[in-house]
This record gives sequence, structure tokens and C-alpha cells, in this order.
Amino acid sequence: MLRHRKYLAPAIAALLLLTLYLTFFPVRETEFALVTQFGRPLYTVTNAGLHVKWPFQIALRFDRRLRIYNPRPSEFLTRDKKNLVVENYVAWRIEEPDRFVQTVGDPTAAEMRLHDIIWSGLSASIGSRDIDSLISVAGDKVQAGPMLDQLTEATDRAALDHYGIRVLDVRIKRLNLPEQNKQSVYARMRAERERIARQYRAEGEEQALSIRADADRQKEEILSAAYKESEKIRGEGDAEATRIYGAAYSKNPRFYKLVRTLESYKKVLDDKTTAVLNSDSELLRVLTQGEAAVK
Amino acid sequence: MSATFAPAVTVAREAHAPHRLPRILLVVLALWLLSGTYLIQPDQQAVVTRFGAVTEPRVHPGLHYALPWPVDSVFKLKVQQTRRLAIGGDLPDGVLGRTQPNASQFITGDQNIINVNVVVQYSVSEPAQFLFHSQDVAAVIGAVIESELARRIAHAQVDDVLTTGKVAIQNSVRESAQHGIDAYRTGVVLASVNIDAVTPPAEAADAFRDVASARADAIRTVNESQGYANDLLPRARGEAAQLLESAQAYKESKVNIAAGDASRFTQIAAEYAKAPKVTADRTYIEAMEQILPKIKKMIIDPNRMLDLTIVRKGESGDRKK
Repeated sequence: MLRHRKYLAPAIAALLLLTLYLTFFPVRETEFALVTQFGRPLYTVTNAGLHVKWPFQIALRFDRRLRIYNPRPSEFLTRDKKNLVVENYVAWRIEEPDRFVQTVGDPTAAEMRLHDIIWSGLSASIGSRDIDSLISVAGDKVQAGPMLDQLTEATDRAALDHYGIRVLDVRIKRLNLPEQNKQSVYARMRAERERIARQYRAEGEEQALSIRADADRQKEEILSAAYKESEKIRGEGDAEATRIYGAAYSKNPRFYKLVRTLESYKKVLDDKTTAVLNSDSELLRVLTQGEAAVK
Repeated sequence: MSATFAPAVTVAREAHAPHRLPRILLVVLALWLLSGTYLIQPDQQAVVTRFGAVTEPRVHPGLHYALPWPVDSVFKLKVQQTRRLAIGGDLPDGVLGRTQPNASQFITGDQNIINVNVVVQYSVSEPAQFLFHSQDVAAVIGAVIESELARRIAHAQVDDVLTTGKVAIQNSVRESAQHGIDAYRTGVVLASVNIDAVTPPAEAADAFRDVASARADAIRTVNESQGYANDLLPRARGEAAQLLESAQAYKESKVNIAAGDASRFTQIAAEYAKAPKVTADRTYIEAMEQILPKIKKMIIDPNRMLDLTIVRKGESGDRKK
């Protein structure tokens, strides 16, 4: 009896603790709890906090947080037969744990299922569109948004019905071209750049030439205008001088003629000139005939 | 919970010191209760959960109390801290020692391939959402930013992305990515989305560089011609001014000379009028005095025959000299 009494209290305490542990279970914000009885799902606890179950029931926990799944890039063919490498992401979380646990069980398997749904959906939607509905500078042609909204909706419906998964978004993360097409794209890019570079240089040349031509024209204008003005001024000078000479000389034209003629002799007759003078001339008459020759 | 511990402790201590038992219990209880005190640093905020459920979504800095383990849990978070996320970029592959160029490649609306690296800065706005709502907040942000970026770039022209359109793309990506992130309730606010580097692919990089240098060449050519014009026109204007000045000088000098000549003539003519014959003779003779010494002269008698050979001799004699 003594031995019994000694171990009775600890035994009861241990049993109590175990019962408490099996009865109360906390549910964190990040998870759902699925209460099962002998393997059969009974109900889902979605509220975080302390909850109660029978000790023989088991609470399975599922991460309810948002997950990002990045399927590996896949190649798709557009309606106009262009290959596109599409990399997308899927935002999803577990919505109905009982269905989830019965159909897929773990996240990796879920992602494989999602991949299949999305791949076929994406392949169908891209296959029914031209490439410029995804890639185009003309904004009105691009229909990627509505296309992905539709895809998200369809995926969500399928995933929720079949797997208890909520798909919040299917988005394209990256569009690219297959490796074998890239080389031709690079070649085209190079050609395009070369064209643009040539255009820039030619435009620079064009502008430079027109600036030079304009400067040359302005120079000619300035110089010819100055010539015109200067000749006008010279003409004024000449006219004024002529007027002054005329006014002065017309007072005594005879004397002017004499003086001017003599002036011009001084210039015209130089040391190469040989003058044959008549000794009878007025200047020399005195030389040959003496004083009597003076009139 | 304390009630459940009591019998266990009682059992352990029963045999040795039954009278000290309640006091030890009290101390243990007090210590346990005290362990619920916690401190939040100035740059932190905290979220408190009770059995997993959020009871305090935002605890501000200071000294606080929560029920001890296992009832309450305190999650401290540095909300002020700006977190950084690099997207794209040729992250070196540690194992193979090479870069992964595809990670940052985007395709533009005019079907050019370019590399874009983005750096995102974000901070926590809703600690409870940040902690409990997403499995990997950085992955969510990265995915949303990348998809928005891909969408924008798929609409844009390569030249815009490389030059002027960059800022617009940055801003619109930040705006729409914030919407997306809010829809996912990640509890994050984007501080900045910064397009760090936009580079053409290595295969076409030299062609892109040539465009840049072509642009510089064009500017240089234009500047050179501008320089030519700037050199030419002032010179032309100077030349024009010189032309005008010399014309003015010509005019002045012409008029002055004429006035001088006229004045001299008028004065002489006035004297001439007083004694015309003498003045004329004097003028003539004076002129002859100046002219005749310079020239060769032959004085002949009109009444005799002239032997023309003397002219020859005289000339040939000159030549021999």
C-alpha cells in the first residue's frame, strides 16, 4: 500500500497533463488545423487560438500562408507561330485542408498539380493570340492582363474544386525568346542600332552643313552690303569733290586749262621722252633771237 | 496551468521538507509570472499572440507585459529598418563560377532584349501581416515587382527604357506593385523601386555604344560648325566695318583735297585776274623749268634741213653706255 500511495499522485498528475495536452491545442495565425478521428477528417479550425478536441482525435496542421510558386520557364507557341519563353509565378495557399489532405497532401505535390493546370491554360491562351498581344509598343494591343485574369480565375476554380487550393494570382514574371531565336534578335538589334547611329551622324552632318551654309550666306550678305554702302560713300565723296572743283574752276576756265595742262606735262613727260623743240618756239626764241624776240 | 504543476512539485518535495513547500511554490510562480515582462527597443514593434491568435497586432517601444510561456508569445520586429531586395542582376553562380544572364533579361515592346537590374527597398507597415501572412515575403515582393516590370517593359520601346522612360517605368512599377502587394496582404510598404542598371546584351553592346558615340559625334559636328560660324561672322562684320571706314576716309580725303585744290586755285586765279599775261607767262615758264631738265631735248632750226641720223646716233650712243 505504501508503494502504491507513493506513486499514485505522480501517476494521476501525469495522466492529467497528458489529457490536457491531448485535449487543448493551439492554432497559430499561420495555420489551419484539421481535426481527424481515426483518420477521418471531421472539421477544420480556421480561427487562431486555443481549441478543444477529444483526446483521441488528432489535429493536423496546415500552413495557410501565401506561397509563391515559380514554375520553371516553359516555351509556348503563339498563334502567329512565334516561340516565347514564359516564366510565371503563382500565388496560392491552402484553402480547404480536408480536400487538400485527401487529394494532394503536401505542397510539393500541389505545385506539380498547379503546374499542370497552368501550363495547359497558358498554352491554350498564348496559342490563341498573336505575339503582339503580349509584346507590343502599341498599348491597346496588349491583352496580357485580361488573359491572365481569366487564367487565374479558371485555375482557381479548378484548384479549389479538386485540391482545396486557392489561387490568388497567375502572373507572367518574364517573357523571353528561346536561345536559338536570340541570335537573330541580336543581329536585328545590331542592324537597328547601326541604322540609328548612321541617322544620328547624318543628321548631325545635315545640321552642321546648314549652319555653315547659313554662316557663309550671312558673310556674303554682310560684305556685299558693306561694299554697296562703301561705294555709295565713295561716290558721294567723288561727287562732292567734283562739285567743289567745278565751282572753283568755272570761275576761270582759261587759267585752269593752262595750269592743269602744265601740271599734266609734269607727269606725262619723263626722262624717256625726247622732245624735238623748234628753236623758233616761244620758250627758245629768246635763246636764238635775243631780247627782241620777247613780244 | 499553475494548478496542474502544483501536485507534481508537491510530490517531489513531500518527503524531505513539507513545511517549505508553499514558499518555493510561490517563488516559482512569481518568477514564472515575471518572465512575461519584455522590452521593445525604439526601432522595434512587437506582435503578441495568445495560443497562436493575435491579441496585440502592434506593440510600440517601451516596457510591456504579456502572459508567460506557453500562453503568450511576443514577436519583435525592426519596423524602421529598410529592407533591400535585388532583382535580376548577374548574380555570380557560386558553384560553377559563372553568371546567370537570363535572370535579368527582359524583352521590350519592339522586341529587343535588354538586361534590367532593379533594387527594391521596403519596410514593414503591418507587423502582424508581415509575420503571419506570407511564407516568404521577399519572394512575394520579388515576384510582383518582376511581373510588373516585365509588363511595363513589354510595352515600352528599347530607347525609352534605356533613356528617358526609365523613371516613368520605375514609378508606375512601384505604384502597381504596391497595389499587388497590398492585395496579398504582406504588410509591407515599398519605399523605392530603383532601376539600377539597364544594359543591352553583350552580343549587341558595341552597337548600342556606337549609337551613343554617334549622338556625341553629331553634337560635336554641329558644335564645330557653330564654331565656324562664330569665327566667320565677326570677321565678316569686321571686314565690312573696315570697308565702310575706308570708304568714309576716301570720301573725306576726296572732299578735303578738292576743297584744298579749289581754295588754292581760287586764290591764284584771283591774282591771275589782276595780271593775266604775266601770270600766264610765269606759270608757263616755271612749269617748263621743272619739265625740261628731265627730258631729252633736240633743238632744231625750222629753216634748215634736219639730218635724222643724229637721232639714231644719240640713241645708240645711249645704249652703249
